[in-house]
Amino acid sequence: MKMYFASFQDLLTMDGHGIYVWSTVIVTLLIMIWLLVAPILSRRALLKEVARDILRERARQTSPTNTQGES
Amino acid sequence: MSWQWFHRLGSPRWFYHNSARWLAWLCPIAAAVVLGGLVWGLAIAPEDAKQGNSFRIIYLHVPASFLALAGYYIMAIAGAVGLIWKMKLSYMVMKSAAPIGAALTFIALFSGAIWGKPTWGTYWVWDARITSMLILLFLYLGVMALQYAYHSIDAASKAGAILGLVGTVNIPIIYKSVDWWYTLHQPATIKFTSAPSMHPDMFQPLLVMIVGFYLFYAVALILHTRSEILRRERKTSWVRELLNEKNQDVADKKVGKS
Repeated sequence: MKMYFASFQDLLTMDGHGIYVWSTVIVTLLIMIWLLVAPILSRRALLKEVARDILRERARQTSPTNTQGES
Repeated sequence: MSWQWFHRLGSPRWFYHNSARWLAWLCPIAAAVVLGGLVWGLAIAPEDAKQGNSFRIIYLHVPASFLALAGYYIMAIAGAVGLIWKMKLSYMVMKSAAPIGAALTFIALFSGAIWGKPTWGTYWVWDARITSMLILLFLYLGVMALQYAYHSIDAASKAGAILGLVGTVNIPIIYKSVDWWYTLHQPATIKFTSAPSMHPDMFQPLLVMIVGFYLFYAVALILHTRSEILRRERKTSWVRELLNEKNQDVADKKVGKS
């Protein structure tokens, strides 16, 4: 397991093909990260929404101005 | 034989609870395999005698194309299971598989276009393989669009499942396109029936990347399905219980203040 290229600089330029290889790598990794982050963010937003609904319902139930309540 | 496992598998609640545990070990393995394979392919594998270093794009192009096709099967089968057994979870998996498949198909097309420039001298040709992959992208986008085209979730799911199933005719066309219309895209490097036409030093990191992409796909599909479960079941009692347990103290405090 040794690096094929003589130096880090060579790894970046890849004899002129570096621009093709690295642009593909960057775009691919960005899309893959987005595929993981997007559902995590939407799940978090949904959990917040449900929590807000629960709070609102509880506030309504315990509110003293609530005339329909049992107490 | 007990069918209990089948019904449990169809329960969004069961899936939501257990998938958190699966992700805990699946995520680190997927990340390690993808990153390890990438370093191996980009920095350690030898360069191609004819193409030079541009061939290293193969380590993303081929795995992404594999999963673009495998993901279509998963989406179509999930849709079919939904149609046949009316399984709610199955439709959620189908809806979740569509954007992931579309993204992977885009990666396959994009990496192929970039690879084409130094190799063929052009970003794009209307080659049979490339064109049929573009149709695959449109099929994925079509299933995605159908999910938002109906007011009723049930109608949207059924329409998506039917489009998904009809679109499966495209899959064998994609596989065979390089043999039927031999134009620019090279035939398959990896075949089940013969040894790979690649040196082991180059082939081994490619296999690692393909396994890594399968693992990544599993993680992405589970994450998307979990968020979809929550979106559709947010009014149900089990989701509320889930949050009630978590936020009992927080909620009590806030209500006490007002």
